[in-house]
Amino acid sequence: MKNLQNRVDPVSFPQRCWERFIEFLFPAEDDRWLGMFRIGLGVQVAVYALFLRSDWHDLFASKGKGLVGREIGEAITSFDSPLIPKLGWLVALGRNVNMSEEAVLSVVWACLLSVGCFLLLGLFCRPAAIVAWFLHLCTAESGGLFAYGADNFMTTALFYLMLSPLPDRYSFDQWVVKTKPKNPQLLGFWRRVLQVHLCFVYFIGGLAKCLGNGWWNGSNLWRALIRPPFTLISPDILVRFKYALPLLGISICLLEVGYPIFIWIKKTRRIWLVCILAMHAAIGVLMGLYLFALIMIVMNLAAFGTNRRIGSHRFISS
Amino acid sequence: MFSERIRVVWFGIHFFLITAVCFAGLFSLIADGATMLPSALEPNARKAEIAAAWLLGKQAGASSPARQGIATYLHAAGIQAGYAFFAPNIPSYHRLTLELFYDDGRIEHESPRLRGKAAARRLESLLDRLADERYEPIREVLVKMLALSVWRQHSDVKKIRAVFGSVTPPGMTEFEHGKAETFEPMFSFDFSLREEGKR
Repeated sequence: MKNLQNRVDPVSFPQRCWERFIEFLFPAEDDRWLGMFRIGLGVQVAVYALFLRSDWHDLFASKGKGLVGREIGEAITSFDSPLIPKLGWLVALGRNVNMSEEAVLSVVWACLLSVGCFLLLGLFCRPAAIVAWFLHLCTAESGGLFAYGADNFMTTALFYLMLSPLPDRYSFDQWVVKTKPKNPQLLGFWRRVLQVHLCFVYFIGGLAKCLGNGWWNGSNLWRALIRPPFTLISPDILVRFKYALPLLGISICLLEVGYPIFIWIKKTRRIWLVCILAMHAAIGVLMGLYLFALIMIVMNLAAFGTNRRIGSHRFISS
Repeated sequence: MFSERIRVVWFGIHFFLITAVCFAGLFSLIADGATMLPSALEPNARKAEIAAAWLLGKQAGASSPARQGIATYLHAAGIQAGYAFFAPNIPSYHRLTLELFYDDGRIEHESPRLRGKAAARRLESLLDRLADERYEPIREVLVKMLALSVWRQHSDVKKIRAVFGSVTPPGMTEFEHGKAETFEPMFSFDFSLREEGKR
């Protein structure tokens, strides 16, 4: 009787949809995923700094000192908006206290490495996340000419991390100062944001791949794997698997396009997650895109790797 | 409850912007004829790309607060670019060769390089951007900077000729028949200490 009333009542349907949407957005979650996200991003930021250590000044120094000069990248960024943070701001700030550009760049590098370690340990989680986001954004924008996909994903992940309800239970902060448990809905909301974001990433990426014939006949995989400077597999070996390449190419398209559907279904979630993680691990190992692979693995594990819900009812957030 | 509503509104705006950025990129690929879709769709795709760009405030003047506000948010959240990585097809890669001319008539070939592998990948990104038409106005400056970085290590060089081009690797079948990659020059510049000329 109640169901029948619900069906004919014209007001309740949109209201019910809204309630279900809110329930979807604010599921009650614990903070395991956040711990994983923080630790993963700590590793990512530290590895980013360590990988670029020997080329840091060449990439970010100004004209005449660096490879192409930071100013060009900053001018392009400023054309989009002068409000976007850049290393030039920090260099100007350093000049006011008689610090050379070289010293400022070294301090930025040291700070990035330090906040990476702080995030890894869970020490001063929130300030560390904000500083990591800001410094990485400055370097990504000033070195925009050298940037690639991994930088955008790092910015996005650090942006979500600094807004998430830190600290988590595994952090040093939590161990030292026992804070009250975080609102489970708030934890659930930020995890949802990450989950929905990944669905966008893979769906758009998969759709764009499906529109290129090279993914259907395997030629794109061939081109990706023999592209210098990361030709880790000899073309002579690769050519022996020429009949497997079209199958792999189609599998990648289907894996990515199907992600927004199959990652939500309980029965297929694990297999989809494992396949996506394997794909990123292969990209990292075979194409040398270690930073890209690591950030995607971290985001996927945080979004769908742990599966702990707190009850089935949502609490009303204050 | 109030903070929940704020979060819902933020969620809506955030993912609306991501959708606009992603579809602007996707329509741009279709409009440029980079996909296997029929070319009849290209004019409509261009219109759709412009509509998506309008939603992102890109049609407004450079000093428009709306445009600057949206752009700042997109960059701050790392969502200013779409996610069409390695798509729809993997393009040719690019190579910049610097011919170093010495006073004694010697000629050496060099390429700009960085020390670490992670940075080398970034140099590849820069070279791919150089090939992009949108970077045409700053090509010469960028190539000059790269030549200068090599010049610093070879200060006795009289002149540098920078040749930039795309490298097309052989297909699988072509490779089996012994075909090597092909280099197609796109542009070149001559730089000397006193004068520089474009060729």
